[in-house]
Amino acid sequence: MIYLDHAAATPVSKKVFEAMKPYFAEDFFNPSAAYLPAKKVSADYEVAKGVIAHTIGAKASDIVITAGATEANNLAFSILASGGSCLYLETEHDSVRKVAEKYGGAPVGVDKNGRILIDDLKSKITDETMLISVALANNELGTIQPLSEIATIVREVRFDRLSRGIKKPLYLHSDASQALNLLNVNVARLGVDLLTLNAAKVYGPKGVGCLYVSHEVKLNPLNYGGGQEMGLRSGTENVPGVVGFAKAVEEATKHLNGNRKKYAAWRKILLSELVDYELINKKHSLDNFIVLCYNGIDAERLIFLLEEKGVYVSTGAACAANKGAKSHVLAAIGLSDSEINGSLRLTLGETNNEEQIHEAARLINEAVAIERGRNG
Amino acid sequence: MDNSGGLSISPSKPTVFVGMSGGVDSSVSALLLKEQGYKVVGVYMKNWSKDLPGMKCPWAEDLADAKRVAVKLGIDFEVWDFEKEYFEKVVEYMLREFKAGNTPNPDIMCNQEIKFKLFYEKAMARGADFIATGHYARVIDGKLARAVDEKKDQTYFLYRISEEALAHTIFPIGGMLKKDVKKLAEKNGLHNAYKKESMGVCFVGEVGMKDFLKEYIEIEPGEIREIETEKVVGHHEGAVFYTIGQRHGLYISGNAGEVNTGLPYYVVKKDLEQNIVYVSRNLNDSNIWTDELKLQDIFLREQPKKDLQVRLRHLAPLIPAALEGDTLHFAQKIKKPAAGQSAVFYDGEICFGGGVITE
Repeated sequence: MIYLDHAAATPVSKKVFEAMKPYFAEDFFNPSAAYLPAKKVSADYEVAKGVIAHTIGAKASDIVITAGATEANNLAFSILASGGSCLYLETEHDSVRKVAEKYGGAPVGVDKNGRILIDDLKSKITDETMLISVALANNELGTIQPLSEIATIVREVRFDRLSRGIKKPLYLHSDASQALNLLNVNVARLGVDLLTLNAAKVYGPKGVGCLYVSHEVKLNPLNYGGGQEMGLRSGTENVPGVVGFAKAVEEATKHLNGNRKKYAAWRKILLSELVDYELINKKHSLDNFIVLCYNGIDAERLIFLLEEKGVYVSTGAACAANKGAKSHVLAAIGLSDSEINGSLRLTLGETNNEEQIHEAARLINEAVAIERGRNG
Repeated sequence: MDNSGGLSISPSKPTVFVGMSGGVDSSVSALLLKEQGYKVVGVYMKNWSKDLPGMKCPWAEDLADAKRVAVKLGIDFEVWDFEKEYFEKVVEYMLREFKAGNTPNPDIMCNQEIKFKLFYEKAMARGADFIATGHYARVIDGKLARAVDEKKDQTYFLYRISEEALAHTIFPIGGMLKKDVKKLAEKNGLHNAYKKESMGVCFVGEVGMKDFLKEYIEIEPGEIREIETEKVVGHHEGAVFYTIGQRHGLYISGNAGEVNTGLPYYVVKKDLEQNIVYVSRNLNDSNIWTDELKLQDIFLREQPKKDLQVRLRHLAPLIPAALEGDTLHFAQKIKKPAAGQSAVFYDGEICFGGGVITE
């Protein structure tokens, strides 16, 4: 198997799996229970939260554990439940886009590289704007956004509002799910007030994520119950999930620079050995994202041909896997329907090695040749 | 066309558009056509995509399965969206019929209006010489004929397709047994060789029909009465949801102080005006049995002999009958099918027509 879809899912790493194991059947106690073994579990949970928080320059009490990034993104938007409007990047993941639409949010445009149009953002901020949401790295293109530049704008708006006696706050949210193992993610340096992380994208378990919440942000709970996670996310703590999440985050940040170099080298190999393509994510991209366009080819056919050879990739085409809807991200950067239809996304990761990269290039070229030959 | 030499040789391969559902039958059909040398274009007809209560619509998975096979065979593949037409021609017909107290057959309507009309017409307009489907049926001397696999024969659902479409239709697996179809799929590495078959009507199983109808027809509580005694034995959510002959899904409890015989109740009559469903425990009730059926919308491919064989349900045994005008006469009493179902006519292997059963 050559797995080139690490942006969709990553396998749980051995270290993570080992760290989680004791918390299923042995240290299974409810952290809220009174007896000592339960208190130990509770303490382990808090330590794990601390590990996650420290990685992004925060404290355990600053983060709310959620069941994945979608829930964290939804929770971030809950500040709008008591009024205020929002702006979001038009290339955001559906878990931001759909909730932003629910609150009547306005999309901010991107350039052909998928980078935010700063002037468009500036022109759309009004005195009602309370939340701006921009993912640190896009999940389809890998495009890295200039978050600190956006944070500077947010600060300027805040000062301006204060000088005019306007009380409405303005916060910056970023979904950093795709970036944690490739970029330094530090809430202070990025200048964000809310930040989403996801264990499943960094070799941790699925269904676990968190939202960093700075002290002045007042969120509204999405669900009600036992008052866990400072009342913002009731429900018995997912102890094995969070322990695994912490281990995954630890590993991700430990190998940050090594990973980047490795992926950049593999990306280079692919770009030189592949033929007959156009590169879509030319600039400002995460090192493990390679988005290609095979114009005139139906990329879903490539997926099925490659699947036969044990190579797993993805596409932004309006295919069955995407329930017949084409990628709004590729449309936003100005690709035509036929270009989107021919788009192939390769995302590199820890399951790969250099030999696989050469082999993948060969097999992809072969599949493309089959399809070109069939059409010709 | 190559006109050189003046001989009427068509150098180009005939083109066939094959409906591919993602199941093994239509996949093997495409495979066989390819092997037989046709230029094959696979088409997934997207007729329905909405999830229903308790039932996730598998259209995206089915489409992916169909396309996966097409890619493996190296044939062209397209998705034709007939959702709007399917709703207008099949679903609305179904709802209309149920509201009128009948029990329609959406599969028959789907074949008549969608697969062997819209799909056929679009394929021909696109330059097809033939269309093909994975139905278990045959065409013998231009006539619709039963499949070799008796247990799979689908002619009951096909009796109303037009003569014109039939003349341009290939049923590649009609001469095969299902088990051999599966084997052939496996031998050729088709991943869906043992995929679970979808049962019942096109998009909703028999069990799901009531849930489906409730999406479109408001519930209207009414009484369930025993026909012999006129006694109220329970309540229902609307007479339109019930089918004559139906046994399941009746909310009836034994009345206090009365011996519950334990025998099941059957729906024997519906009074739509009063919204009353009549039931009986008596399987000999005259409402259940009959020796004649009145038909409407009779569709004939050829003039019928007086004596013919009739099938009253998909795969039901063939029963001898005589057709006089629009009435079928049976030598023995038969269990009366619900109005709206079809009686399909056979002359041995040949399926030459049928009609819709009335009250």
